[in-house]
Amino acid sequence: MAKRITGSLLSAMVLASSLLCSSVAGAAEQADPLQSPMWDYTRQIFLGQMPWQFDARVKVSAPPFAEDPTQVPITVDASALDGEIDKVIAWADLNPIQHIFTWFPGDKVKPRVSLRIKVQQATPVRAAVLTRDGVWHVGGVQLEAAGGGCTAPSTGNADPYWESHLGEIASRRFGSAQSSRYRFKVVHPMDTGLVNNIPEFFLEQLELRDSAGKAVVKMQLYPPVSENPVFTFDLKGNVGQHQLWLRDNSGNEFEQTL
Amino acid sequence: MSKFGRGTGFAITALVAGMSVAGMSWAGVTDKDILNDQMTTDDVVSNGLGPKGQRFSPLKRVNTDTVKDLRPVWSFSFGGEKQRGQESQPMVKDGVMYVTGSYSRVFAIDVKTGDELWQYDARLPDGIMPCCDVINRGVALFGDLVIFGSLDAKLIALNAKTGKVVWKKKVADYKAGYSLTAAPLLVNGKVITGVSGGEFGVVGKVEAYDAKTGKLVWSRPTVEGHMGYIWKDGKKTENGISGGAPGKTWPGDLWKTGGAAPWLGGTYDPDVNLLFFGTGNPAPWNSHLRPGDNLFSSSRLAISPDTGKIVWHFQTTPNDGWDYDGVNEVVSFDYKANGKTIKAAGTADRNGFFYVLNRENGEFIRGFPFVDEITWAKGLDKNGRPIYSEAHRPGNPAASADGKKGKSIRAVPSFLGGKNWMPVSYSKDSGLFYVPSNEWAMDIWNEPVSYKKGAAYLGAGFTIKSLNEDYIGVLRAIDPKTGEEKWRYKNYAPLWGGVLSTAGNLVFMGNPEGYLMAFDAKSGEMKYKFNTGSGIVGSPITWEMDGEQYISVVSGWGGAVPLWGGEVAKRIKHLNQGGSVWTFKLPES
Repeated sequence: MAKRITGSLLSAMVLASSLLCSSVAGAAEQADPLQSPMWDYTRQIFLGQMPWQFDARVKVSAPPFAEDPTQVPITVDASALDGEIDKVIAWADLNPIQHIFTWFPGDKVKPRVSLRIKVQQATPVRAAVLTRDGVWHVGGVQLEAAGGGCTAPSTGNADPYWESHLGEIASRRFGSAQSSRYRFKVVHPMDTGLVNNIPEFFLEQLELRDSAGKAVVKMQLYPPVSENPVFTFDLKGNVGQHQLWLRDNSGNEFEQTL
Repeated sequence: MSKFGRGTGFAITALVAGMSVAGMSWAGVTDKDILNDQMTTDDVVSNGLGPKGQRFSPLKRVNTDTVKDLRPVWSFSFGGEKQRGQESQPMVKDGVMYVTGSYSRVFAIDVKTGDELWQYDARLPDGIMPCCDVINRGVALFGDLVIFGSLDAKLIALNAKTGKVVWKKKVADYKAGYSLTAAPLLVNGKVITGVSGGEFGVVGKVEAYDAKTGKLVWSRPTVEGHMGYIWKDGKKTENGISGGAPGKTWPGDLWKTGGAAPWLGGTYDPDVNLLFFGTGNPAPWNSHLRPGDNLFSSSRLAISPDTGKIVWHFQTTPNDGWDYDGVNEVVSFDYKANGKTIKAAGTADRNGFFYVLNRENGEFIRGFPFVDEITWAKGLDKNGRPIYSEAHRPGNPAASADGKKGKSIRAVPSFLGGKNWMPVSYSKDSGLFYVPSNEWAMDIWNEPVSYKKGAAYLGAGFTIKSLNEDYIGVLRAIDPKTGEEKWRYKNYAPLWGGVLSTAGNLVFMGNPEGYLMAFDAKSGEMKYKFNTGSGIVGSPITWEMDGEQYISVVSGWGGAVPLWGGEVAKRIKHLNQGGSVWTFKLPES
């Protein structure tokens, strides 16, 4: 009996000290506005031990319901933090593969990107923006969905079209005085590796390069990005030619002048 | 626990992972490591245990006395539902095994535990056209790269630590029937590969790429009439037409789709600085469409690794009409005759003859049958050229009443060969070649055919028949100096796996029934067998770690036999598929 008391005392002490630790972490006191059971876990993975805060200036928009869970349009907009941004990470808490992209916007592009993603079930979709002062700013939105988007075979699996058109890029540029918008679509199955007998096969790196070959957009992509993905970037100014470069995890490289 | 606690755990895991990777002390594979592979017992860094392809190891802890105690240490499953033929030879370097599986998959395994370190699955298009199962025969290692050929005819270099793609090059168009199944050959910083696709009227070629960057260095077509190229400072330069000019040994335009695919890869001998590649059948199979020798089909080619030029050739089956590919591995070995050292090369051909050549110049030294029956030729002349038995060449369909089917004949060996892809072993200790062979015949007839891109280009029909009720496979110990067969082991199903001999006076090989077997190298007595659960069609290796000798072999039934097996099918249809690596050692004393 005495032994048991000692044991529970000990565990209470451990509990107390760990509570103490978490209050030392400071910002961790903020409750997740999306009330996700995965928040602690995904935060550790993507933000690690760095300071962070929920921040309404990081806007993630998505339709209220994912009509097609394999093609959900989302937009991440951190324009309010423009000029301060080091990198942006987006993820979906309840996807089997959470990570959607890591983006290094640079100073020649607006910190706003639109693309389509896959979701496996209703999930928070989050973006975390690391500013140069070393703080993560986290925004997010709850996306409702019927689900199944990550474990359904790509349509490319039933139709060999992609085999002869892999990496083909269709693009458009919409210009205005202050900016130009690039929208492009790439033919790629973006297989997640979660479907039986279809290995993961996805675009891993994306760069938009200026005429001198310097990257103005750098992005790492992950399997939750939709099949035949569509991206929209807004460049500051409306001058010069740009080249799009992509590489997939099979080592295929695709390049096109936009 | 709180979030903070979990964060700490995460960091520790990362640290441990980092340490264990560092603990493997990756030194990288050098040209020297590859050239010395037959002498170094702590690694296997070349296909064939040394570029000469002798498949002989000086290890002898496992020997005729101790092999009875051999025990499995671990078995690793390739997983998935992709259990097809597994013809790979594993490689081992610094505690890591690199092995390929069916459907262009590569695995890195911790050899101490059998744990997977990483896996690479190529995403293959549905349109791949391998003729003879979705197999792969292994990787090449160089620096920190693991290089292999995929079924959609690409060379892929992976980072040895992570399995991520470093570079990838298209060798040929899979839609025209090309694929890659052989283990690439690594010589002096170049990765050298052939191509598969002889059943689709491709044009065979051997190509060298810079192993570090994947840049093409030279390309050598293996069909007479095609221009070779070499790249100097990034500039593509003409490097001579193979055979000098088109049309010398081919009629009309047939050289343009002539086949001669060097699909089994090659060997290399540093003594003479030559690559040895064998070439496949001429296309189409119907030989009446292409009177002439049809160079360089069904031949052995010696190619300079530096210039990509053909230094000598030896054609085993000129104007082949039986699908007797001449791809079989050329094994360099030396022997003494009249007090002189002969730089020889031994090769057991699909056509049933074993050839001993002078590897410096390709001159024929001697040849003899290594199977019990050969019908298509009466023998070899003094230059090693076959003396045809015209009654055993399938008839010309043009000579038949309706022009649709030529006279059917019985030919021995069958088109799957006296020996197929499965590599021989040469033991320096016994001076014998250990040849995995098969005894079978075929009925074969010719049909009219015309070339269409990406379609089978045979012009022949055929069916295989076994010669004996109780066996097809025969493992033979053959003296290359006399042609004498010293012993034989008979196997019910056809043999389809490679052979390994060791200084422990042992010969290892697997059979389709699933057994890894060990024989006394001198007497042929079976000393050990263990059933791996599926048929063995891969090549065993051996190496040493922490003072103990290990033996590994891949298990997984498949390959060409179940696809083309004819009447033979009933002997093998009960064999179940698999996909795993087995590793063995002696119990610690």
